[in-house]
Amino acid sequence: MIRRLLLTFLTVMLLCACSDNMPEEMAEQNAVYYWRTELRLDSTERAFLAQHHINKVYCRYFDVVMDDDGNPVPNATITFSDTLPAGIELVPTVYITEDCMHQPHPGLAEKIVKRIQQMNETNDILNVREIQMDCDYTARSRQTYYDFLKEITHHSSLLSTTIRLHQLSMAPPPVDYGVLMLYNTGDPRKFMERNPVLDKRDVQPYLRHLDDYSLPLAAAYPVYLWVRNINGVRVEHFVEPDEILQVKQAVEKKRPELRRTIVTYHLDKENINRYKPETYEEIYHH
Amino acid sequence: MKRFIIISLLAAVVLPAKPCLWFDTYNSYLFSPYDPQEFRDRVESITDDNWKVYLNTDEQYFWFNAEDAIKAAQKKNDQLMVSYIQNLQKYLKCSDEKQREQWDYPTKQQLAERQKTLLSVRTYAQGKLKTRLRSQHALLVMRCNMLLGRHADNVTFWNTTGSNMIESVYRDMMRNIYAGALYHTGSEDAATQIFAEQGDWKSLMTIYYKRRSYAAIRQEYLHRPDSPVLPFLLKDFVNNAQEAIDAQGNEGEFGGKLFIRNISKAEASQMIALAAQVVKEGKTPVPMLWQSAKAWLEFMYGQQRQAATDILAATKMEGTERMKDNARVLLLYITAAQAPASQDFDNYLADELTWLDTKVTKDRFFLAARDRLTHQVLNKKYANRPTINVALFKALADGDWQYYVDTMRVENLKTYINYASGSGKTALDRYLLSRQQLDRNAMNDLVGTKYMRLCQWQQAIDWLSKVPASFYSTKGYAVYAAKRRWTVEPWLKRQWLKEGEEWSDPKPSFRANPKLEFAREMQKMEAEKNMLTGQAQQQHCYDLAVRYAQAHYTGDCWFLMRDGKSICDTLRVNESDLGKKALQLLRQACLATDFKLREKALFAMTYGYLYAEKDAWCYSEWDSSAADFVVKERRQSPQYKVLTALADLENQNATRTSQYVSRCDNYIQFRKSYK
Repeated sequence: MIRRLLLTFLTVMLLCACSDNMPEEMAEQNAVYYWRTELRLDSTERAFLAQHHINKVYCRYFDVVMDDDGNPVPNATITFSDTLPAGIELVPTVYITEDCMHQPHPGLAEKIVKRIQQMNETNDILNVREIQMDCDYTARSRQTYYDFLKEITHHSSLLSTTIRLHQLSMAPPPVDYGVLMLYNTGDPRKFMERNPVLDKRDVQPYLRHLDDYSLPLAAAYPVYLWVRNINGVRVEHFVEPDEILQVKQAVEKKRPELRRTIVTYHLDKENINRYKPETYEEIYHH
Repeated sequence: MKRFIIISLLAAVVLPAKPCLWFDTYNSYLFSPYDPQEFRDRVESITDDNWKVYLNTDEQYFWFNAEDAIKAAQKKNDQLMVSYIQNLQKYLKCSDEKQREQWDYPTKQQLAERQKTLLSVRTYAQGKLKTRLRSQHALLVMRCNMLLGRHADNVTFWNTTGSNMIESVYRDMMRNIYAGALYHTGSEDAATQIFAEQGDWKSLMTIYYKRRSYAAIRQEYLHRPDSPVLPFLLKDFVNNAQEAIDAQGNEGEFGGKLFIRNISKAEASQMIALAAQVVKEGKTPVPMLWQSAKAWLEFMYGQQRQAATDILAATKMEGTERMKDNARVLLLYITAAQAPASQDFDNYLADELTWLDTKVTKDRFFLAARDRLTHQVLNKKYANRPTINVALFKALADGDWQYYVDTMRVENLKTYINYASGSGKTALDRYLLSRQQLDRNAMNDLVGTKYMRLCQWQQAIDWLSKVPASFYSTKGYAVYAAKRRWTVEPWLKRQWLKEGEEWSDPKPSFRANPKLEFAREMQKMEAEKNMLTGQAQQQHCYDLAVRYAQAHYTGDCWFLMRDGKSICDTLRVNESDLGKKALQLLRQACLATDFKLREKALFAMTYGYLYAEKDAWCYSEWDSSAADFVVKERRQSPQYKVLTALADLENQNATRTSQYVSRCDNYIQFRKSYK
């Protein structure tokens, strides 16, 4: 009897250890973010998806922002004028502003999931099996956000979230996996010294967290031009291919898993033409 | 110089996590020849006024309320208006559903119903085109077509019906929808002319976004010298040229080609020549527009004398009222940048600032122009008259006034405080003095704080004694001041606030002025230092070093010397290097024969926050072959030498090493390379 109990105890312990500390392996796949307000692909974008064997598109469905009355509301909802090529999985992605998580909003998780489901139904989007949440949570909002994610898991079979570098120092969120955002890494005020989109010097201090971050991770790299509006002036930041590839090399060295699921932010003809196909091939190199 | 003053402490705390947070620059556009108010804002304002008249009310009318309007119409027995509003309401509901974000995303059935509603409203409106409210109903027809995506129908409807309506805001709106329909059906040129005439700048920018250049302007001018698109294109060109110039100087500091439209010097020269040609040819009804553009481009590209001549000439040419105001602003800016300091200039400036005051409340352009003038020209012009300079910032309610008073020399601040309470002699003095209302407590605190920054404790006490303790409860840093102690050794314990404490605590109250308490304690301890000898003096030096390190901008009690904290903080002018002072005192404490004190003082001297980045014992460098950052030592750096001394001490006393040393990650890392 004691032996059976001990065996059961050890089995339970082993299972707990597996689920807590041993992340499941990420699938080897290429993905993109789609961050526009209208889903419409041109021939360049379709060719890109095929050429780089993209099989997953994280598609921003809408943002959630605080309204003037202090309630979270949807904003900038995407319109669907097109469909993704066959065989590509669509992952509805919702960006939620950090201030929405300064306090709990009962029912918010359900509202978001229902809205996503209705958007899928109205626009004939089938076979959706995952949801991704994107939030720049901080120490202040972390717990509320994690509780909110737990609530989402009651309504969705698979849940992922974005992980910013500064979030690596916190306990991982209760999701199936995270997408490590290797962009927006810099201090926007120091753009004269460092590229605020990506600079390996800004990534370096966080590398030490990668070893033991107990959540499966994909890696997302920037291919976009950050256009900022300063006093009505549009200012652009562009990341050199070498910088992206050096960061990729550095993070994959620390955590080889990061070469399995690779995402670029974001799918757009201009971004495709901004870099050579070879650069994309190197980014998507597993 | 770029600056960032942390007004809100909370903003500083979350700053690294907010990639969108931005700070103001002062490179606002000075070429603004037309009112940038959008077409949409203008028509909304007129329709609101129309409803006010119909409802017979003087109350402010912010948005259309169908129920109120129906009640008013019923009261007047205006059945036509009732049915119009009811159908308008249906249309607005569809439009609102389409645009407004709601949690309930429409189902397929709801979308079909929306389509059906729009068709029925359109049918209704088409039947009312011969009534008293024909313009409103015609607009309703076009609105429905627009939402239904039937742009070709709208082109036909405008040509056959809408264009025949009488001039009214409804006709203007119909024409705007017609222009949109033209654009959607391929008649872009005709669409742009209408958008420009109507001041629909957003639509124009959508169309011209990728083709804005000297060549495009020249082509447009040759095609039609009085084209209404020209002011839009010219403004865009000149403003982009300004961006290119600003990017080269201190103001932009963007470095390199970062803008959507980077105007080259050659392209700007071509535009200057074209502007001269246009004025000479006399085909334009607004030569002032072109002459002003020419002058401002010349000024920016270094032909300042020519610019002064040209802008003066521009002020005498034909142009709209807005163009005249714009030319006057440019004349002020160009004159201020070149005129020598004199009483005449001061008088001229006082007059022009008074004129600008009448404009700034009505139009943001004048406010932005005044900001640029103040920061880029007047600030330098009055650099050797700091009182006038700071008074200007105060008079113009400029956010940087706080920065200037905070960083100016204490003697200058005292002079300014006296000036602000005087009566003044010149026109400029009178202009400025009528706009200086100073908070006495804030000023006394600031002067006292400045003396603290200089470690002149008696003067600090004199000024801080005038400030009540209650003043500190209102400060953004109050929660930090209430929770932290300057007696805690920062190298042994950081005084982090508990999670959420910054946000949740009510405003703490203080029994005494915390700065005054600190100043008194420092004065007393400094006086006692020289009266002590031996170990007592060494311990005293250590205790004083703790206080200096805490009051340092990297210390936990930074609020003693500053109003806010930021990761970008550095030692400022007009303040003592408290970190350096702490190190000097620790050096004295290190002479102790007592092992514990010596170890503690040496350990304190290794504290990274007391060193500038260049003096740190190591740095990281990217190593391509390792695909990683590698740590490089700086063996000649002060911190390295102190760590060496600490390591040697510990080597000699291996069994006595304190845990705070043996467990220190920085020390452990150092010991990996120093055996």
